[in-house]
Amino acid sequence: MTLCGASRLLASAVLALSGVPASAQKAAVLSPYAGVYQPQGIDEVGMWREDDESERALAASPLVIRDEKLTGYIRDVLCATVGLDRCGSVRVYVIREPVFNATMSPNGTMRIFSGLLLRVRSEAELGAVLGHEFGHFERRHSLAKFKAGRSGSDLLAWSGLLTSMVRNYTVLRAYRDLRWSVYGSLFRYGRDQEREADLLGVSYLNQSSLPPQAATAVWQNLMGELAASATARGVRKPNFNAVAFTASHPPQGERADYLAALAAPEAASRNDGTARYREALAAWLPLLLDDQIKLNDFGASDYLIQNLASDGWTADLWFARAELYRARGNQRDFVNAIQFYANAIAMRDGLPAAHRGLGLALIKSGRQVDGQAALQRYLQLSPDASDAKMIRLMIPGGSMQ
Amino acid sequence: MRIISGIVFTIGMMLLALPATAQERSALKKGFELSANSGKRILVFRPSVSVGAQSTGGMFEPNGDWTERASKNIQVSLERLQSRLGNTVIVAPEAYGEEAQRLQEHMSLFAAVSQAVIEYQFFVGNRLPTKKRDNKNDVFDWSLGAGVASLPGAQDADYALFIYNRDAYGSTGRKILQVLALLGPGIAVKSGEHAGYAGLVDLKTGDLLWLNADGAMGGDVREEEGSEKRVRQLLEDFPGSAIKQEQ
Repeated sequence: MTLCGASRLLASAVLALSGVPASAQKAAVLSPYAGVYQPQGIDEVGMWREDDESERALAASPLVIRDEKLTGYIRDVLCATVGLDRCGSVRVYVIREPVFNATMSPNGTMRIFSGLLLRVRSEAELGAVLGHEFGHFERRHSLAKFKAGRSGSDLLAWSGLLTSMVRNYTVLRAYRDLRWSVYGSLFRYGRDQEREADLLGVSYLNQSSLPPQAATAVWQNLMGELAASATARGVRKPNFNAVAFTASHPPQGERADYLAALAAPEAASRNDGTARYREALAAWLPLLLDDQIKLNDFGASDYLIQNLASDGWTADLWFARAELYRARGNQRDFVNAIQFYANAIAMRDGLPAAHRGLGLALIKSGRQVDGQAALQRYLQLSPDASDAKMIRLMIPGGSMQ
Repeated sequence: MRIISGIVFTIGMMLLALPATAQERSALKKGFELSANSGKRILVFRPSVSVGAQSTGGMFEPNGDWTERASKNIQVSLERLQSRLGNTVIVAPEAYGEEAQRLQEHMSLFAAVSQAVIEYQFFVGNRLPTKKRDNKNDVFDWSLGAGVASLPGAQDADYALFIYNRDAYGSTGRKILQVLALLGPGIAVKSGEHAGYAGLVDLKTGDLLWLNADGAMGGDVREEEGSEKRVRQLLEDFPGSAIKQEQ
């Protein structure tokens, strides 16, 4: 093969790969549901079978939060967003993992990460994320991505072979360039899929009874959290408009912009279901907050807590904030923590962990007597606590017995 | 991410030209003996079977039809071979609710333990210090814990058998690439992947009694005859087995 021929082959291959349609900047009017939920062809049937196996394991996994009420509620929000004809093909699993994420796999398995539930603030915001995930499913994105990855790696295998036959520096360099452009186009392909799913997500909301403006609010809120996290760590605020080479999603700033533009303006006055959402999550909020605090991301956690408290503080929120400050554990943090624990106790006395935290924070700031009194109260309220023996050691006259 | 690791893997295969390494090892817990025709009941949990093709670039392409066929074939061969050993194979009952969760945890635990055995005891030069000593003294001491006794179906059986199989048959493109790479620049490209392992667990104590792992197995699991060969290989060192000599 001539040198020129080889590089022409590589060039045309790059062109063929980069033929990814740019997503049109217009919220689609949805066509009736086509019933895409039966697999067709070897690849899809194969993927579904693997997926069925993994769902079988997921259904029995200890990671899943098994609360029929919560799962049913999320399912109802999904149905309200995408419509009853569409949502029937989805199984919802809530996974206890405190990060902002949700996934949808080819056979209709939807995984909701518990960190998402802490971050969205209304049914409309939850619906925006669920609709986005459903969009991946309706357009069979996993399958398309699998095929793109296969074409890309096939191309690299062949061109790698040809390159090794020619043994010429120019060809080798062309091969290296090709390698990067294949990687790049695969990542970009993934980002284009995300944009398409975003457009679909807004389209569902436009046609639902929920306000589509929530979609942009989700990303505004996330940017606020990321900025707060960066500030607390003393690092530069992330750039919300830059696209990294290996980024799997479009930058948040871009998403917030186009999602705002696509939302139907007349739908802004719809009820976004904030009150219903808060009520449904109330029982789980303490656990979600506890998991979040353990991530050791002070700025993000404080942002989330204050965000949740924007319509009024509750005992749970004061307690979570106190725990957050005590966990960071600078001497100055204990002063704040003591105040926050006191606020929580003032709102609800029967919160044993608040007395425990208060006692420990008081002792740390040198107020031994007050601290021991608070710990006494903790042991009174919860004598069988797993750490009761250890706490008893900190109280005069206490022992391991 | 899977795509990228697939690509990186391909490049690795292309550039490093790894020779196909067949890593086969089995081990038996010391003191454990199973005489032929001892009439033990062996509980078989849903075997993990995954069959597909390997694309030209080296990606795994799952194939539902092949996998279904392989699962059935393996089950049939298993029952036939075990009855020849004088043992009865009991298919584990379908589990529900908390039982299903416990079973799932134990399946994951078995996968993790057997991976650890393969990684740290079977592979020379990649051993944990404790296992280095174990290997020198011929100690094979691993356990899933006594919790296995509460698994569904455990009270009716003596041992549990776990089976894992993963096959990727080289696609036409992969085979052509393999030939051309060898003829042209002389690079050895591996076509296909056939890995399997089988383990026997004591249902009273949870101890791992026997494990057989093979990274390059024979037998086409998509055919009845081939799967017979595969299961024969999986069980060739099975305690009290006379299968090996018959080959």
